[in-house]
Amino acid sequence: MLLQTRIDQTRPAASDSVDRPLIRLRGVSKDYETAAGPFTALRGIDLDVAAGDFVAIVGQSGSGKSTLVNVMTGIDTPTAGTIAVGDAEIQHLSQEQLAVWRGKSVGVVFQFFQLLPTLTVVENIMLPMDFCGTFPLAQRRGRAMRLLDKLGIGAQADKLPSDLSGGQQQRAAIARALANDPPILVADEPTGNLDSRTSDEVMQLFAGLAGEGRAVVMVTHERDLARYFTRVVELSDGCVTSGRAVGPTA
Amino acid sequence: MRDERSRRGADGMRIATRWWKLIRDFDAIQGRILMAVTAIAVGVYAVATIASAYAILTREISRNYIATNPASALLDVGVVDAKLVEAVRKRPDIAAAEAASIVAARVEYRPGEWVRMLLFVVPDFDALRVNKVFPEAGAYPPKPGSILLEREALAFLRGKIGGSIRLQTPTGPKVFVMVSGTVHDPSLAPAWQEQTAYGYLTPETFAAVGGDPTPNILKVVVREALHDQRKVDAVVGELALALKARGLDVHQIQAPPTGRHPHQNQMTAVLTMFLMFAILSLVLSAFLTASMIDGLLAQQVRQIAVMKAIGARTRQIVGLYLVGIFAVASVAVSAGVPLGVISGQAFADIIARLLNFDIASHALPHWLILALVIGGLAIPLTFALVPIRKAARATVREAISDYGLSRQVFGAGWFDVFLTRLRGIDRTLILAIRNAFRRRGRLILTLMLLAAAGAMFLASLSVQKAWGQFIASSAQDRDHDLELRLDRPAPTAALLAIVAGAPGVRKVEPWSVTSAAATRPDGLAVVRTYPDGGHGSLAFQSLPAPARLSHLVMLDGRLPRPGEDGAILLNQGARALLGRPPVGSTIRLTVEGRAASYRVVGVVRQIVTPAAVFVSPTGYQDITGTGGKTNAVRIVTVDHGVAATSAVASAVEARLGAAGMRVVLSTSEAQVDGAVGGHVRILVVSLVIMSILMAAVGLLGLASAQGTSVTERTREFGIMRTIGGTKRVIVRNVIAEGLFTGLMSVVLALLLALPLAAGIGNLIGVLSFGLPLPLTLSLPGLGLWLAIVAIGSVVASLVPALNAAKLTIRETLAYA
Repeated sequence: MLLQTRIDQTRPAASDSVDRPLIRLRGVSKDYETAAGPFTALRGIDLDVAAGDFVAIVGQSGSGKSTLVNVMTGIDTPTAGTIAVGDAEIQHLSQEQLAVWRGKSVGVVFQFFQLLPTLTVVENIMLPMDFCGTFPLAQRRGRAMRLLDKLGIGAQADKLPSDLSGGQQQRAAIARALANDPPILVADEPTGNLDSRTSDEVMQLFAGLAGEGRAVVMVTHERDLARYFTRVVELSDGCVTSGRAVGPTA
Repeated sequence: MRDERSRRGADGMRIATRWWKLIRDFDAIQGRILMAVTAIAVGVYAVATIASAYAILTREISRNYIATNPASALLDVGVVDAKLVEAVRKRPDIAAAEAASIVAARVEYRPGEWVRMLLFVVPDFDALRVNKVFPEAGAYPPKPGSILLEREALAFLRGKIGGSIRLQTPTGPKVFVMVSGTVHDPSLAPAWQEQTAYGYLTPETFAAVGGDPTPNILKVVVREALHDQRKVDAVVGELALALKARGLDVHQIQAPPTGRHPHQNQMTAVLTMFLMFAILSLVLSAFLTASMIDGLLAQQVRQIAVMKAIGARTRQIVGLYLVGIFAVASVAVSAGVPLGVISGQAFADIIARLLNFDIASHALPHWLILALVIGGLAIPLTFALVPIRKAARATVREAISDYGLSRQVFGAGWFDVFLTRLRGIDRTLILAIRNAFRRRGRLILTLMLLAAAGAMFLASLSVQKAWGQFIASSAQDRDHDLELRLDRPAPTAALLAIVAGAPGVRKVEPWSVTSAAATRPDGLAVVRTYPDGGHGSLAFQSLPAPARLSHLVMLDGRLPRPGEDGAILLNQGARALLGRPPVGSTIRLTVEGRAASYRVVGVVRQIVTPAAVFVSPTGYQDITGTGGKTNAVRIVTVDHGVAATSAVASAVEARLGAAGMRVVLSTSEAQVDGAVGGHVRILVVSLVIMSILMAAVGLLGLASAQGTSVTERTREFGIMRTIGGTKRVIVRNVIAEGLFTGLMSVVLALLLALPLAAGIGNLIGVLSFGLPLPLTLSLPGLGLWLAIVAIGSVVASLVPALNAAKLTIRETLAYA
């Protein structure tokens, strides 16, 4: 379903790839059975996200934003439609296959950081490498420290998450999402718990990561962050109501 | 984690990060980990104790018994001379043969009170090869004119080496005989259990005390038939027929069960029961561990979701927590197994002392230790696998959106609706009741733990009560105070007149008695008794008028009618011994060498009485040839006290002695009670101890569940505090939930206790009396258990409740 592109003040994409998109959704729907009866969270969504895109998914509460990123990351499975990420169509993968794929291909950043409380910051970053076996044991700490330094919190490496501020925790969560060097980053309301100044800092980080050539998809309800995005896709009642969902970016 | 250096674990020790998460997660719940370790250790300890004792006792009791080279059979042939023994030894199937005498005498237990004594007349102590005894203390062989006592008999008689005992043989006077030493005879049940003393003396000493020194018993050991009953019966049967062909009169053949100590079956049955309960306690501790891990995982749902979101596979998460449980179980096993083995060895010593055998080695087979270790690890792991797999298999979406409550929406089911309609109770208490049902799986686990422990506790005390009731009712079955047996039948009228005239005698009845055996097709009579003549014996008694027996409980059929001479009445022991012949069938018995057929008309209950059959006085006289005579009487005394009864026995004996009638055995009610009393006490105490261990595991489970429940409801408590709930309300709510759970378990325990008590009562009753104990419930036991659970539930909930109340509102609302 091609809709009118919404003109916004987002930054142009660092690279406007006309090649095959990194993420490709076609006709994706998601229905739930609730106590109140069946509920359709997504209705026939088509969406492309290319490498270098920094896409915002916006909409009212209950519009389907979180469901959309959940199906994109394999956290949820669509009722209908296809989801192609890179070369993989993930809608038919088993939970185990999704876990392996997700660990290597997608970095997930949660609103409430979701750092494991009994591991130090650097251990939280090392954990995805441990599960996926992407780097040798001897190299993991070094790589984790470099990521933390890149995100400006190297000095917090051996502290527990509870010792960090909200902004520091979110940086740590971003570092964890980058642990296995995935091409895609997905963030669900990552600034929802942060003050405005910290939010800006985090958004700059994400923009920088998109500038490195990763595809970054972010769910947000904060419209004043629009300047950071290369595209904004608006959802309402499970449908894309505005924003260029498919095709090259402006 | 208290400083940065200790947090450098992932760098200092190169192990994968996930293991540090596990270590620190467990460190954060040290209390619950300790509970789980303790519970598993208790379960492993219980199994190790009983299993070790079982292995040692079954091996050693057999070793002790076999070491005596037990006779395959004892043949009473009247006179046994050296020529006969030699001829029997030459038979190819006979490994050993010896001559002996075993005489039922009596010994003075207390002044004027006499108990049964078996005298084993040994021609040559140094050449004794069959039914061997082992020197224990003092002289061996006995000094001339002295006697050796079995070591337990010395204690039973409160005698000492160098002291004297007063004994009387069936044909001799009452004489004092010096005790010159003790021996250990592991082939016999202990003296105190049978209320029978055992003495060993030479033929010369036996003659000196008035006995006939000519051996009348031929002891034989069948070659290569230690555990082959069929071969023994066949060979002994052939031997008996051969002896008969030589003109010898084979009065009786005693062929005890091959290769088994008299009490081996009972010991094995009781130990098996204990082992089952010990395994049950291990299973319960595994339930507790599963409950603990379920609680931990409930708090870690989001973390598991995050791990799966960052690439963890289900098997990695399962493996992580299984390794944690393995570590917990390993600690428990490393404590429980060694301690259990030591306790088992001590327990075996206690039982061996009770059953009068020695333990030569406490060694345990290696496979047993291995089985204990593997079982102690595998059982908790298996139970923990259920909640671990459930948590690990939850999808990321389900886990991410979990807020610590049941996935089921409360109010969906009919039971939830019922709970919402509860009225008339304080709202906070309603909240406690509803919350108890919110996590049904955890509730069921906790209830099962407590209910199993409660059922065991109630069943133990109920069995003890049933035992007491059974013994009391058995006393009513025996409506006499004394039974006196003569050395030979005496004219009935004269006998009764003499006894009735003695002071303190209210009533006297003739109850002639002799021994009998089932007749084989070849005409031989074989009894499965041990050398003590007790176990497996069958008494053949003359029935007084049926009306006199109307107080007895009929188990089947009816009493014989007057003049029904071919009828026979069995007690339940005789019914079991004779292969459970149905009422109306015909059995054939050999009595004093004569065989006769009888029709079974009824089965009567007689507790604490050996196997016995009853025929009419005419029937008895016909087969024994004792018309108009009686050899035993039962006496009801005016005063039923122990001292008065003893005085009556002495007076009656004196009167009979003056009339030329000799009493060879005098049995009082007090002696019968003594034989019965000690047996079950140990059993019930052990059961109660086991149930207390299980109760501890159950209450630990409740504490663990309460701790988890409080953690899950942290935010809820914060909300309650913001809308006016005080700390006191929070504490009351948590304690009420724990108390409600505990009280529910009592109802369940009661339902489980009844079949459990029936089962245990059946086992113990049949082993002891040939009849199951009556099913009864100990109300004091129920009250005690209720108090234990109520107090325990409050205590188990108190710490979590106080922890919940301590948190500030801000902390509780920020909890995620």
